[in-house]
Amino acid sequence: MNQTSTVERPSTGAAASLEVSHALTQTLYREARRLDDEDYAGWVAMLADDLHYHMPGIETRYRRDTTDQITDLTRMAYYNDNLDEIKKRLSRLETGTAWSEDPATRYTHIVTNVEVENTEKADEFRVFSNFYAYRNRNERDEDSLIGNRIDIWREAGGAYQLVKRRIILKHNIMLSKNLNIYL
Amino acid sequence: MRMDRIGREPEFSRYMDLKEGWLDRRIFSDADIYEEELYRIFARSWLFVAHESQLPKAGDFLTTHMGEDAVIVTRQPDGTIKVYLNSCPHRGNKVCFADAGNTRRFVCNYHGWAFNTAGELQGMHEEYCYDEGDIDRKKNGLRQVARVGSYKGLVFATFAEDGPSLDAWLGDFRWYLDMLLDNEEGGTELVGGCIKSVISANWKFGVENFIGDAYHAGWTHDSGCRSMNNGQPFPPIDMENSYHASVNGHGWEFGTEGVGDLFLLGRPKVMEYYEKMRPKMADRLGTMRSQIFGSVASASIFPNVSFLPGISTFRQWQPKGPMQFELKTWVIVNKAMPDDIKDEVTKGVMQTFGPGGTFEMDDGENWENCTTVNRGVVTRHERLHYRCGIGRQIDHDTLPGIVYRGQYNDANQRGFYQRWLDMMEATDLEAMPPRPEPRLTGIAETRDLPGLFAL
Repeated sequence: MNQTSTVERPSTGAAASLEVSHALTQTLYREARRLDDEDYAGWVAMLADDLHYHMPGIETRYRRDTTDQITDLTRMAYYNDNLDEIKKRLSRLETGTAWSEDPATRYTHIVTNVEVENTEKADEFRVFSNFYAYRNRNERDEDSLIGNRIDIWREAGGAYQLVKRRIILKHNIMLSKNLNIYL
Repeated sequence: MRMDRIGREPEFSRYMDLKEGWLDRRIFSDADIYEEELYRIFARSWLFVAHESQLPKAGDFLTTHMGEDAVIVTRQPDGTIKVYLNSCPHRGNKVCFADAGNTRRFVCNYHGWAFNTAGELQGMHEEYCYDEGDIDRKKNGLRQVARVGSYKGLVFATFAEDGPSLDAWLGDFRWYLDMLLDNEEGGTELVGGCIKSVISANWKFGVENFIGDAYHAGWTHDSGCRSMNNGQPFPPIDMENSYHASVNGHGWEFGTEGVGDLFLLGRPKVMEYYEKMRPKMADRLGTMRSQIFGSVASASIFPNVSFLPGISTFRQWQPKGPMQFELKTWVIVNKAMPDDIKDEVTKGVMQTFGPGGTFEMDDGENWENCTTVNRGVVTRHERLHYRCGIGRQIDHDTLPGIVYRGQYNDANQRGFYQRWLDMMEATDLEAMPPRPEPRLTGIAETRDLPGLFAL
């Protein structure tokens, strides 16, 4: 029973209180603003030590195909990271030689369709949301990443920390040269 | 296949002088040259279409492209693999829309023409509308490629009826390929899935980067290297004991220090795994190859497959017009690896060479800008410099191929463009010269090469 709530489990339908829903919706917006501002120290401060940040690669398959492309962690994934691994990726930006980040990319994260549910654990909440992340860089490079997220957020000391996130990007072929962004 | 264009104005040699060491930039941007590449290179080369491990059971299929031709690759009930166009002979519609799966048949959505996994026409919707003599089912199957072959797990296909066998096409490059494909009993497999991205660059920039461009790694990827390894810079290059080797346009650049690429992966458990395995690898492949494996290295198979032995990214650069390619990436692991090591490799590859990887992120931007600047008419007529290390060719007792000393070199890139030119100008593929004369002729296994274990 001490296990963290999962992002696999279907919706319980048990809506969290208005107060918690409001606080977590504001938390998602704050997170999006920090990512837009490249305030990665501020973002990392919102991540739990036992974070699992997962964005599977999803192939186009027929409906009858039962291959588990979402929860099978042995398959290829854009992200399948713990907190240390996210920090490793971010440390590239501190080197001063991340050439493709200078000039900076201009980001906007739009977060919508927020639903907050209670879980089996009193201090953990399941949060569904949709995102639209827009990037523009150099003269006219631009792309849009759109998808759904299922998160587990944990209350800790009056704030919330992200414990789990599963991101389902709607691309089959990612229509972009790279993924220098967190969703 | 009949190629109407072949033989017309084969004057591609004007776009390069490889003895002087320059290329004309139009080969990276010109739409007419790109069209000729589809005819002369992609419709005539042996092209990678699958790894055997992606199709373990009868009825397993995947879809891919040979050049810009969409094809289906399927495992047959007798264990062989067939490759045919993903296009109905009736009106041309695609008959398969999935990336992969298992099926007994492919049915066209348009008029219900149904094909078995061998590509043979089995029937169609409202078949009575065809009178006797209207249709010969045998002649209206899905169009098969001319030949399919495989080498140690890698499946290749070609539309060319004539031309070299797959063994001759790979030639002595098999000696190098075995370091990736046969370094441990049981061979290799691809991890599940395939991650694809789109880069607005000419496909050759990806290939040539992996075929020989160790030179960019320490500069372009300084940030990637430091992020994966607690701030440590790129490993030093030993110009005396590192090499370029080119065979029939394929190329492998490598050190002999044994650990550089494993270090860049940033996964100590994977490093330990290979260190423990290295004596066995030496028994299997000889000392030289066991020292090369894991070193700073990169490689490409002509025309459009690349990989990093040790880092384990495996990829194909699929052409989509002169200024765009689709990058398909996989993770290649040894079948015999324990699951936790396979997971470590997979995570390491995605953190370095996935689209969000600390190395990959800086490559795409370079190749896009190398390509798109050629929209300028003055710019596109400027030459590019490919002369690095042009005087460093050596004869080597152990290393097959055209060998140059020093892995900071343009030698493999020159070898690739030489083969590009051979293919673009050849009217008869059989008459293309081997580059160089092979050592492995008549040898079944590269480990049987005389003298290999004496060194």
